[in-house]
Amino acid sequence: MEELDLLKKAWQKDSHSYEQISEVEIYKMLHKKSSSIVKWILIISIIEVLFWTVISVFFNVDEYLKTLNAESLSMYFQVANFVNYAVILWFIYNFYKNYIKISTTASTKQLMHDILKTRKTVQYYVWYNLAMALITIIASFVMQFAFDPRMEMVKYRIEHEENHIILLKTLGLILGTIVVFVFFFWLFYKLLYGSLLRKLNANYKELKKIDL
Amino acid sequence: MSDNLEQLFVKQLKDNQNIIHKICRLYTNDEDAHKDLFQEITIQLWKAFPKFRGESKFSTWAYRVALNTAITLYRKSTRAVATTPYESQKHFLSQEEYNFEEEEQIKLMYQAVQQLNDIEKALVFLYLEDKDYTEISETLGISEVNARVKMNRIKGKLKKILNP
Repeated sequence: MEELDLLKKAWQKDSHSYEQISEVEIYKMLHKKSSSIVKWILIISIIEVLFWTVISVFFNVDEYLKTLNAESLSMYFQVANFVNYAVILWFIYNFYKNYIKISTTASTKQLMHDILKTRKTVQYYVWYNLAMALITIIASFVMQFAFDPRMEMVKYRIEHEENHIILLKTLGLILGTIVVFVFFFWLFYKLLYGSLLRKLNANYKELKKIDL
Repeated sequence: MSDNLEQLFVKQLKDNQNIIHKICRLYTNDEDAHKDLFQEITIQLWKAFPKFRGESKFSTWAYRVALNTAITLYRKSTRAVATTPYESQKHFLSQEEYNFEEEEQIKLMYQAVQQLNDIEKALVFLYLEDKDYTEISETLGISEVNARVKMNRIKGKLKKILNP
């Protein structure tokens, strides 16, 4: 075929000049996968904080305390809230730092190290959130028992019963609620960060294979 | 160790990058898609690099991995949008040997090649790279006879596209 051979000749000569990719750019391409996963961790954590903030706008703690006649606790809540946000912001700052680090590293060894560090940060973050969820729910049960007028009846009956059935039922209910609540939190974080961590881990293993 | 391997790879890739550019040129229609495919091929090459033992030349091995990536892995959707091929604004012939008629012929041929399917493009690419049928068949994992038959069919198809 004459035309095809013409094209072949031109192709071979290749007068076409391609924009040459530098070594640094190639390094960046190799590491882009991890950096995009870490970027998602950062984005999701920020969205998550916004989500909880929006939820807390709808749920007014002060109103709730009023119904319990426990306005004196309001200060504690504010402090706890403040500390919580400070800790979460610290985590987000760390996610950001990890992201910047991973997207600029040029060596595999350093990248592997950074991946492990990011994984750890995420794990601590999830554990922290789970612990906070647990503390919150236990605290709210304790408060309900201590302050909620509707609990008086239950308390009275627990004090005056002989076979502890109501006490056991109440404890069972509380324990069950805590388990379900924490389980849902755990599931939430597992779904949110689990797949990202798995991908990051897979990337780490790939790098490790090469490192042999 | 790993860093050495990485340096070696990056250097080889840099020196052989025109192979990948050529494949990208054939399989994509605009510069963004070109860069995308280039990156995808780079990642696939890097993943496969530990298995490359230097039995063949880096370039031969790169042909195989890069073409496989272009054919199978690269998401079709990103280049399904028909745009004016940016090639049409670029010249194939250098200034010294410029010949309007020839340049037009080459351009038309090139546009015809772009209408082929992914596997046909791979064959044409290797043909343009002046590979013999043994190498074409090895690179694409088909028999030599099959490669010949396919190439003949492609030539027929190209003729039809050029002279409908």
